Amino acid sequence: MSTSSSSSKKIVLKSADNETFEIDEIVALESQAIKNMIEDECADNVIPLGNIDSKTLSKIIEYCKKHAESPKKDDNADIDEKAVEDLKSFDAEFAKVDMPLIQDILMAANFLNIDNLIGLMCRTIADRIKGKTPEEIRKILNINKNDLLSPEQEAKAREENSWAFD
Amino acid sequence: MGQSPSTTAAATTTTTNRRRDTAVKELRSFLTDDDDVITTGDISILPDACLASVFQFLTSGDRKTCSLVSKRWLEIEGQSRHRLSLNAQSDLTAAVTSLFVRFDSVTKLSLKCDRRSVSINDDGLVLISEHCRNLTRLKLRACREITDLGMVRVSENLKYLKRFSCGSCGFGVKGMNGLIENCGLLEELSVKRLRGISNVVDVSAESVGPGGGMCLKFVCLKDLYNAQCFGDLLAGSKNLRTLKVFRCSGDWDKVLEMVTESVTGLVEVHLERLQLSDVGLVAVSKCRSLEVLHILKTPDCSNLGLLSVAENCRGLRKVHIDGWKTNRINDEGLVGLSKYCVNIQELVLIGVNCTRVGLEVLGAHCVKLERLALCGSETVGDAEISCIAEKCIALKKLCIKSCPVSDHGMEALAVGCPNLVKVKVKKCRGVTSEGLGSLRASREALTVNLDSTEVESQDAASEGVQDGAIETPTVTNHIEGASNSASRSTSRSTSFKARLGLIAGRSLVCTFRKWSSFGGSSSRSQ
Repeated sequence: MSTSSSSSKKIVLKSADNETFEIDEIVALESQAIKNMIEDECADNVIPLGNIDSKTLSKIIEYCKKHAESPKKDDNADIDEKAVEDLKSFDAEFAKVDMPLIQDILMAANFLNIDNLIGLMCRTIADRIKGKTPEEIRKILNINKNDLLSPEQEAKAREENSWAFD
Repeated sequence: MGQSPSTTAAATTTTTNRRRDTAVKELRSFLTDDDDVITTGDISILPDACLASVFQFLTSGDRKTCSLVSKRWLEIEGQSRHRLSLNAQSDLTAAVTSLFVRFDSVTKLSLKCDRRSVSINDDGLVLISEHCRNLTRLKLRACREITDLGMVRVSENLKYLKRFSCGSCGFGVKGMNGLIENCGLLEELSVKRLRGISNVVDVSAESVGPGGGMCLKFVCLKDLYNAQCFGDLLAGSKNLRTLKVFRCSGDWDKVLEMVTESVTGLVEVHLERLQLSDVGLVAVSKCRSLEVLHILKTPDCSNLGLLSVAENCRGLRKVHIDGWKTNRINDEGLVGLSKYCVNIQELVLIGVNCTRVGLEVLGAHCVKLERLALCGSETVGDAEISCIAEKCIALKKLCIKSCPVSDHGMEALAVGCPNLVKVKVKKCRGVTSEGLGSLRASREALTVNLDSTEVESQDAASEGVQDGAIETPTVTNHIEGASNSASRSTSRSTSFKARLGLIAGRSLVCTFRKWSSFGGSSSRSQ
């Protein structure tokens, strides 16, 4: 299978709940992991993504489509600012989802190795915990209470923190 | 795109290669491994690299909060801190070991002590350097207790140091030499207020360098006595590209002559408030690839020196000149600069009395000029602005400050400079808000800023820097400011004194003439 005909070629992704998504190969190539599969000729017609549900997968495809359509930075040094702005506002809109979905997208993006999307999700999480207390952060991210610091550990960490400038 | 790919890349760098190699395998097992079901919204299964990447988007303060969230977060936050800024009081020494066990990946460290506290000493800093042998950047501020001996020992541990910056520390020439000898990869060196250097009794006996320095590309020296002792180091740094010297006493002509004997690859030179004459500028002109030149408040520099640089360094792109109202650099210099250096994109003229004559040549030759600032020039009036409006076709940004221009000049701008996107007018009495309003109305795409003139006398010299580099030049303002503001910082008042002292003999008459004409500047525009 050759990548030269990539513009017309289709790839089918199957989610954990057995929904199939037919997408252009160029969109799938946004995922470094799928790209490697295709290059190594390991991709069959249907790629099953057994651990990504259809809700998450459709979001990821939405993201990859948009980014695949947009001119790449390294293609041309002076791509028009409008395209950059357009992509920026798309990203901002894209990230307006609830925290569980953000974490699911991040996990899936990490497995599929989509660097830009990993960055976007990490930044979104960072934006939502900015200026919050540890307790608020635990709540926002639903952090397991079994992993809390002991009072001694917390006191030590606070003492160390006091040496670092904000 | 809007995100910062470098941050993401940094967090995932360690895994990228491995990931690439085994991606197919991983994905295959991921596809078939049914046990590994993603639990919705559970951050605890997020890979370390992702969590670290989240932290990269946070400030140090927020990172500190994150460290208290859970055991895992404490661990990952500590390991993923590459940049750390610590309060360098003497008590820090006791905390060093536990701090750097937690923050074991720091490569950029900044140690700052406040003026009133006792700083860490040699032992403390050496201990830190033993924990952080991979440091690439080190910044020391007000670490007064650190001596030459300490610096030598520390530099022995920091073989990978690329950037070093120090201010108000206790060491001197010997410490600097230790650094130069031991840190062979050093690329950037910034030194400010080093008492150890000013204490050198016999200057000729001690100098920094010339050992090493082959990687050195950037040197910045500020507020130093006897900074001439860096001459050998500079002369030995064959790959030096940027040299900045600010407010360092003593003769700089000789140093620059010596340096450019062997170093001719300088691309950027900033010289401010120095005893520097045309001899020094002629020396600088040996650097044919010079692109950026700032000569600010170097009252002995004249048209001749500027012409020498212009003739030899025709690739100049950015030029800032503060003539300090000595009138030694004027139209003659501007005409020469314009004719030789046709690639100039940015020109800042402060206290330089240029007229239509010079600006016309500038507009005709420098067709790439995009940014122009004219400050405190008593000769820049409406005729000059009209000339700019007509000739400077590529101009995008224009700043006019403390010049005798009026609304007529603004009218000229309204119909000229087709590429203009931003105009700033400050402390120009002749320009009214109506005048700027009509400019705004006639050029919709133009951003117009007017700093209202009412506050002029109170405001005085406080408008230090605008657009990054433009400093208020007028002695007028200083005199007024000094008389009605006693609360000025010491540095300001000393500079005021120094400035008065320097200009006293030469141009006080001219200054006061200027001062008196300043009040009546509107007469020009009527």
